[in-house]
Amino acid sequence: MARKRFIPEIKKNQTFGLNITSMTDMFTILLVFLLQSFASGEINLDPVQGVRLPSSSTEKNLVDGARISISPTELKFDQLKVADVKDNKIASSAIDPNDSNFIKPLFDELQKFNKDNEKLAKTGKVLFQADRDTPYATLRKVMYTASMAGFPNLKLVTTAGN
Amino acid sequence: MRKRFKPLLNHNSEFALDLAPLLAVMVKLVPVLLVSSAFVQMLIIETELPQVVQQAIEQQNKDPKATQVAVEVSRKFGVKFIITENGKQMVETVALTTEKELDLPRLHAKFQEIKKSHPEIFKIEMSPEEDVPYSDVVRVMDEARKSRSNDIKFPVKDMKTGQDTSTLYMFPEVVFGNTMDG
Repeated sequence: MARKRFIPEIKKNQTFGLNITSMTDMFTILLVFLLQSFASGEINLDPVQGVRLPSSSTEKNLVDGARISISPTELKFDQLKVADVKDNKIASSAIDPNDSNFIKPLFDELQKFNKDNEKLAKTGKVLFQADRDTPYATLRKVMYTASMAGFPNLKLVTTAGN
Repeated sequence: MRKRFKPLLNHNSEFALDLAPLLAVMVKLVPVLLVSSAFVQMLIIETELPQVVQQAIEQQNKDPKATQVAVEVSRKFGVKFIITENGKQMVETVALTTEKELDLPRLHAKFQEIKKSHPEIFKIEMSPEEDVPYSDVVRVMDEARKSRSNDIKFPVKDMKTGQDTSTLYMFPEVVFGNTMDG
Protein backbone atom coordinates (compact mmCIF):
# COMPACT_ATOMS: atom_id res chain seq x y z
CA MET A 1 0.00 0.00 0.00
CA ALA A 2 1.43 3.33 -1.06
CA ARG A 3 2.11 5.83 1.66
CA LYS A 4 -0.01 9.00 1.52
CA ARG A 5 2.00 12.10 0.70
CA PHE A 6 1.92 14.82 3.34
CA ILE A 7 0.23 17.98 2.12
CA PRO A 8 0.53 20.95 4.50
CA GLU A 9 -2.64 22.78 5.24
CA ILE A 10 -2.69 26.19 3.60
CA LYS A 11 -5.13 28.79 4.74
CA LYS A 12 -6.02 30.76 1.63
CA ASN A 13 -7.34 33.88 3.37
CA GLN A 14 -4.48 34.18 5.82
CA THR A 15 -2.94 37.66 6.34
CA PHE A 16 0.49 38.36 7.79
CA GLY A 17 2.29 41.41 9.04
CA LEU A 18 5.41 42.35 7.11
CA ASN A 19 8.18 43.84 9.20
CA ILE A 20 9.20 46.96 7.29
CA THR A 21 11.33 48.56 10.00
CA SER A 22 14.64 47.55 8.42
CA MET A 23 13.47 48.72 5.01
CA THR A 24 12.44 52.08 6.49
CA ASP A 25 15.90 52.36 8.08
CA MET A 26 17.53 51.75 4.70
CA PHE A 27 15.33 54.32 2.99
CA THR A 28 16.03 56.89 5.71
CA ILE A 29 19.80 56.53 5.17
CA LEU A 30 19.32 56.73 1.40
CA LEU A 31 17.11 59.81 1.73
CA VAL A 32 19.66 61.62 3.92
CA PHE A 33 22.45 60.84 1.45
CA LEU A 34 20.39 62.02 -1.51
CA LEU A 35 19.29 65.21 0.25
CA GLN A 36 22.93 65.95 1.02
CA SER A 37 24.03 65.47 -2.57
CA PHE A 38 21.00 67.30 -3.95
CA ALA A 39 22.13 70.09 -6.24
CA SER A 40 22.08 73.16 -4.03
CA GLY A 41 23.13 75.66 -6.70
CA GLU A 42 20.67 77.68 -8.73
CA ILE A 43 22.06 76.28 -11.97
CA ASN A 44 22.10 72.70 -13.15
CA LEU A 45 24.72 71.95 -15.74
CA ASP A 46 24.73 68.64 -17.54
CA PRO A 47 28.18 67.15 -18.08
CA VAL A 48 29.06 66.98 -21.77
CA GLN A 49 29.81 63.56 -23.17
CA GLY A 50 33.50 63.00 -23.76
CA VAL A 51 34.61 65.97 -21.67
CA ARG A 52 36.78 65.10 -18.67
CA LEU A 53 36.80 68.27 -16.63
CA PRO A 54 39.92 69.15 -14.64
CA SER A 55 39.60 69.22 -10.86
CA SER A 56 40.16 72.39 -8.92
CA SER A 57 40.15 73.72 -5.36
CA THR A 58 37.76 76.55 -6.22
CA GLU A 59 34.69 76.98 -4.02
CA LYS A 60 32.46 79.01 -6.31
CA ASN A 61 29.12 77.60 -7.40
CA LEU A 62 27.86 77.63 -10.94
CA VAL A 63 26.30 80.76 -12.38
CA ASP A 64 24.17 81.15 -15.47
CA GLY A 65 25.60 82.21 -18.80
CA ALA A 66 26.20 81.16 -22.38
CA ARG A 67 27.34 77.54 -22.38
CA ILE A 68 30.30 76.49 -24.49
CA SER A 69 31.94 73.09 -24.35
CA ILE A 70 34.88 71.56 -26.13
CA SER A 71 35.44 67.82 -26.19
CA PRO A 72 38.12 65.86 -28.09
CA THR A 73 35.68 65.55 -31.01
CA GLU A 74 33.45 68.63 -31.11
CA LEU A 75 32.93 72.23 -30.11
CA LYS A 76 29.41 72.89 -28.86
CA PHE A 77 27.37 75.94 -28.05
CA ASP A 78 24.80 74.73 -25.53
CA GLN A 79 23.63 71.49 -27.17
CA LEU A 80 24.44 72.55 -30.72
CA LYS A 81 27.59 71.37 -32.44
CA VAL A 82 29.33 74.34 -34.05
CA ALA A 83 32.64 72.82 -35.16
CA ASP A 84 34.55 69.57 -35.39
CA VAL A 85 37.62 69.00 -33.27
CA LYS A 86 40.36 66.69 -34.42
CA ASP A 87 43.65 66.05 -32.62
CA ASN A 88 42.61 68.74 -30.12
CA LYS A 89 42.43 71.31 -32.91
CA ILE A 90 39.33 73.03 -34.23
CA ALA A 91 38.56 72.11 -37.85
CA SER A 92 40.04 74.65 -40.24
CA SER A 93 36.66 74.99 -42.00
CA ALA A 94 35.30 76.76 -38.90
CA ILE A 95 38.22 79.18 -38.63
CA ASP A 96 38.04 82.56 -40.32
CA PRO A 97 40.66 82.67 -43.13
CA ASN A 98 41.60 86.24 -42.18
CA ASP A 99 41.91 85.63 -38.44
CA SER A 100 43.39 82.34 -37.23
CA ASN A 101 41.82 82.71 -33.76
CA PHE A 102 38.30 83.52 -34.88
CA ILE A 103 35.71 80.70 -34.91
CA LYS A 104 32.98 82.03 -37.18
CA PRO A 105 30.15 79.53 -36.37
CA LEU A 106 30.65 80.06 -32.63
CA PHE A 107 30.59 83.83 -33.06
CA ASP A 108 27.33 83.57 -35.02
CA GLU A 109 25.73 81.45 -32.30
CA LEU A 110 26.86 83.87 -29.60
CA GLN A 111 25.41 86.77 -31.58
CA LYS A 112 22.13 84.88 -31.86
CA PHE A 113 22.24 84.28 -28.09
CA ASN A 114 22.82 88.00 -27.62
CA LYS A 115 19.55 88.75 -29.39
CA ASP A 116 17.47 85.95 -27.87
CA ASN A 117 18.66 86.29 -24.25
CA GLU A 118 19.40 89.97 -23.93
CA LYS A 119 19.31 90.05 -20.13
CA LEU A 120 21.66 87.10 -19.71
CA ALA A 121 23.92 88.23 -22.53
CA LYS A 122 24.42 91.61 -20.84
CA THR A 123 26.28 89.88 -18.00
CA GLY A 124 28.84 88.68 -20.56
CA LYS A 125 29.23 85.38 -18.75
CA VAL A 126 30.36 82.21 -20.46
CA LEU A 127 30.28 78.82 -18.77
CA PHE A 128 33.16 77.00 -20.41
CA GLN A 129 33.52 73.23 -20.17
CA ALA A 130 36.72 71.94 -21.71
CA ASP A 131 38.47 68.59 -21.67
CA ARG A 132 41.50 68.57 -19.39
CA ASP A 133 43.88 67.66 -22.23
CA THR A 134 42.80 70.47 -24.54
CA PRO A 135 45.84 72.61 -25.35
CA TYR A 136 45.77 76.32 -24.58
CA ALA A 137 46.02 77.17 -28.30
CA THR A 138 42.54 75.70 -28.82
CA LEU A 139 41.13 77.24 -25.64
CA ARG A 140 42.48 80.60 -26.71
CA LYS A 141 40.52 80.50 -29.97
CA VAL A 142 37.29 79.97 -28.02
CA MET A 143 38.19 82.69 -25.50
CA TYR A 144 39.09 85.11 -28.26
CA THR A 145 35.83 84.49 -30.14
CA ALA A 146 33.77 84.79 -26.95
CA SER A 147 35.49 88.03 -26.08
CA MET A 148 34.87 89.42 -29.57
CA ALA A 149 31.17 88.48 -29.28
CA GLY A 150 30.86 90.47 -26.04
CA PHE A 151 31.35 87.69 -23.51
CA PRO A 152 34.49 88.61 -21.57
CA ASN A 153 33.53 86.97 -18.24
CA LEU A 154 34.82 83.46 -18.62
CA LYS A 155 33.79 80.91 -16.01
CA LEU A 156 35.91 77.79 -16.24
CA VAL A 157 33.86 74.79 -15.15
CA THR A 158 35.79 72.27 -13.07
CA THR A 159 34.98 69.39 -10.78
CA ALA A 160 35.51 69.65 -7.05
CA GLY A 161 38.92 68.37 -6.10
CA ASN A 162 41.80 68.95 -3.71
CA MET B 1 -17.26 59.91 48.68
CA ARG B 2 -16.92 58.38 45.31
CA LYS B 3 -13.48 57.09 44.42
CA ARG B 4 -11.83 58.82 41.46
CA PHE B 5 -11.35 56.63 38.43
CA LYS B 6 -7.72 56.00 37.62
CA PRO B 7 -7.01 54.31 34.31
CA LEU B 8 -4.69 51.39 34.57
CA LEU B 9 -1.46 52.19 32.74
CA ASN B 10 0.86 49.40 31.86
CA HIS B 11 4.25 51.01 31.34
CA ASN B 12 5.79 47.86 30.00
CA SER B 13 3.31 47.42 27.20
CA GLU B 14 4.56 47.38 23.57
CA PHE B 15 2.85 48.71 20.51
CA ALA B 16 3.59 48.42 16.80
CA LEU B 17 4.18 51.72 14.99
CA ASP B 18 2.67 51.74 11.52
CA LEU B 19 5.60 52.61 9.25
CA ALA B 20 3.79 51.92 5.99
CA PRO B 21 2.81 55.59 5.24
CA LEU B 22 6.35 56.74 6.03
CA LEU B 23 7.75 54.12 3.72
CA ALA B 24 5.28 55.11 1.01
CA VAL B 25 6.52 58.74 1.20
CA MET B 26 10.14 57.62 1.04
CA VAL B 27 9.56 55.35 -1.92
CA LYS B 28 8.18 58.36 -3.80
CA LEU B 29 10.90 60.77 -2.62
CA VAL B 30 13.90 58.59 -3.37
CA PRO B 31 13.34 58.32 -7.16
CA VAL B 32 12.69 62.09 -7.35
CA LEU B 33 15.94 62.85 -5.57
CA LEU B 34 17.82 60.21 -7.55
CA VAL B 35 16.80 61.89 -10.80
CA SER B 36 17.55 65.45 -9.67
CA SER B 37 20.74 64.80 -7.71
CA ALA B 38 24.11 65.92 -9.03
CA PHE B 39 26.64 63.26 -8.19
CA VAL B 40 29.50 65.16 -9.82
CA GLN B 41 29.87 68.51 -8.13
CA MET B 42 30.77 71.14 -10.67
CA LEU B 43 32.28 74.48 -9.67
CA ILE B 44 33.70 77.44 -11.55
CA ILE B 45 36.90 79.44 -11.67
CA GLU B 46 36.23 83.05 -12.50
CA THR B 47 38.46 84.83 -14.94
CA GLU B 48 38.12 87.87 -17.10
CA LEU B 49 39.23 88.15 -20.65
CA PRO B 50 40.75 91.39 -21.80
CA GLN B 51 38.55 93.18 -24.28
CA VAL B 52 40.22 95.25 -26.91
CA VAL B 53 38.52 98.51 -25.99
CA GLN B 54 38.54 97.82 -22.30
CA GLN B 55 42.23 97.05 -22.49
CA ALA B 56 42.94 100.31 -24.27
CA ILE B 57 41.05 102.30 -21.66
CA GLU B 58 42.82 100.47 -18.86
CA GLN B 59 46.13 101.14 -20.53
CA GLN B 60 45.39 104.86 -20.49
CA ASN B 61 44.37 104.88 -16.86
CA LYS B 62 47.15 102.59 -15.79
CA ASP B 63 49.29 103.74 -12.95
CA PRO B 64 52.88 103.33 -14.15
CA LYS B 65 54.11 102.81 -10.60
CA ALA B 66 51.73 99.93 -9.80
CA THR B 67 53.43 96.56 -9.57
CA GLN B 68 52.38 93.99 -12.12
CA VAL B 69 52.84 90.25 -11.92
CA ALA B 70 52.89 88.25 -15.14
CA VAL B 71 53.08 84.47 -15.18
CA GLU B 72 54.22 82.55 -18.24
CA VAL B 73 53.55 78.81 -18.31
CA SER B 74 55.60 76.56 -20.55
CA ARG B 75 56.08 72.81 -20.95
CA LYS B 76 59.73 73.44 -21.74
CA PHE B 77 60.99 75.62 -18.90
CA GLY B 78 58.19 75.59 -16.32
CA VAL B 79 56.67 78.77 -14.91
CA LYS B 80 58.29 82.16 -15.35
CA PHE B 81 57.34 85.07 -13.07
CA ILE B 82 57.85 88.56 -14.44
CA ILE B 83 57.40 91.20 -11.76
CA THR B 84 57.37 94.78 -13.01
CA GLU B 85 57.87 97.35 -10.27
CA ASN B 86 58.65 101.03 -10.81
CA GLY B 87 59.53 100.31 -14.42
CA LYS B 88 62.04 97.59 -13.46
CA GLN B 89 61.52 93.96 -14.41
CA MET B 90 62.47 91.02 -12.24
CA VAL B 91 62.31 87.54 -13.76
CA GLU B 92 62.24 84.33 -11.75
CA THR B 93 61.57 80.80 -12.93
CA VAL B 94 60.21 77.69 -11.25
CA ALA B 95 61.55 74.82 -13.33
CA LEU B 96 59.72 71.59 -14.16
CA THR B 97 60.30 68.49 -12.06
CA THR B 98 62.50 65.63 -13.31
CA GLU B 99 59.29 63.99 -14.66
CA LYS B 100 58.68 67.12 -16.76
CA GLU B 101 55.67 68.10 -14.67
CA LEU B 102 54.88 71.40 -12.98
CA ASP B 103 56.54 71.65 -9.58
CA LEU B 104 53.39 72.63 -7.70
CA PRO B 105 54.80 72.91 -4.13
CA ARG B 106 57.61 75.19 -5.31
CA LEU B 107 55.16 77.13 -7.45
CA HIS B 108 52.88 77.70 -4.47
CA ALA B 109 55.83 78.79 -2.32
CA LYS B 110 56.85 81.28 -5.02
CA PHE B 111 53.32 82.73 -5.17
CA GLN B 112 53.37 83.08 -1.38
CA GLU B 113 56.73 84.81 -1.54
CA ILE B 114 55.51 87.30 -4.16
CA LYS B 115 52.31 87.94 -2.22
CA LYS B 116 54.28 88.58 0.98
CA SER B 117 56.34 91.25 -0.73
CA HIS B 118 53.33 92.73 -2.61
CA PRO B 119 50.23 92.23 -0.42
CA GLU B 120 48.32 94.94 -2.28
CA ILE B 121 48.24 92.92 -5.52
CA PHE B 122 45.39 90.48 -6.14
CA LYS B 123 45.55 90.24 -9.91
CA ILE B 124 47.99 88.36 -12.12
CA GLU B 125 48.31 88.20 -15.87
CA MET B 126 48.70 84.65 -17.08
CA SER B 127 50.14 83.70 -20.47
CA PRO B 128 50.33 79.96 -21.09
CA GLU B 129 52.12 78.70 -24.18
CA GLU B 130 50.10 77.08 -26.95
CA ASP B 131 50.88 73.46 -26.03
CA VAL B 132 50.09 73.79 -22.32
CA PRO B 133 47.11 71.55 -21.46
CA TYR B 134 44.02 73.00 -19.81
CA SER B 135 44.59 70.91 -16.65
CA ASP B 136 47.99 72.60 -16.13
CA VAL B 137 46.41 76.04 -16.57
CA VAL B 138 43.85 75.18 -13.87
CA ARG B 139 46.60 73.82 -11.58
CA VAL B 140 48.62 77.04 -11.79
CA MET B 141 45.46 79.08 -11.10
CA ASP B 142 44.75 76.87 -8.07
CA GLU B 143 48.24 77.41 -6.68
CA ALA B 144 47.93 81.18 -7.18
CA ARG B 145 44.42 81.63 -5.78
CA LYS B 146 44.71 80.84 -2.08
CA SER B 147 47.33 79.99 0.51
CA ARG B 148 47.11 76.32 1.42
CA SER B 149 48.46 76.91 4.88
CA ASN B 150 46.13 78.56 7.38
CA ASP B 151 49.19 79.92 9.19
CA ILE B 152 50.29 81.96 6.22
CA LYS B 153 47.96 84.92 5.82
CA PHE B 154 48.40 88.22 4.09
CA PRO B 155 47.51 91.68 5.33
CA VAL B 156 44.65 93.49 3.63
CA LYS B 157 42.88 96.74 4.44
CA ASP B 158 39.09 96.71 4.72
CA MET B 159 38.01 99.59 2.51
CA LYS B 160 34.72 100.09 4.40
CA THR B 161 36.00 100.16 7.96
CA GLY B 162 39.62 101.11 7.26
CA GLN B 163 40.80 98.36 9.60
CA ASP B 164 43.69 96.04 8.87
CA THR B 165 42.75 92.41 8.52
CA SER B 166 44.26 89.27 6.97
CA THR B 167 43.27 86.93 4.19
CA LEU B 168 44.28 83.57 2.78
CA TYR B 169 43.64 84.78 -0.76
CA MET B 170 46.72 85.58 -2.80
CA PHE B 171 45.90 86.13 -6.47
CA PRO B 172 42.23 85.27 -7.01
CA GLU B 173 41.93 87.38 -10.14
CA VAL B 174 43.57 85.87 -13.19
CA VAL B 175 43.52 87.53 -16.58
CA PHE B 176 44.66 85.67 -19.65
CA GLY B 177 47.13 88.13 -21.10
CA ASN B 178 47.82 86.54 -24.46
CA THR B 179 44.24 85.89 -25.60
CA MET B 180 44.28 88.73 -28.07
CA ASP B 181 47.77 88.02 -29.43
CA GLY B 182 47.95 86.85 -32.99
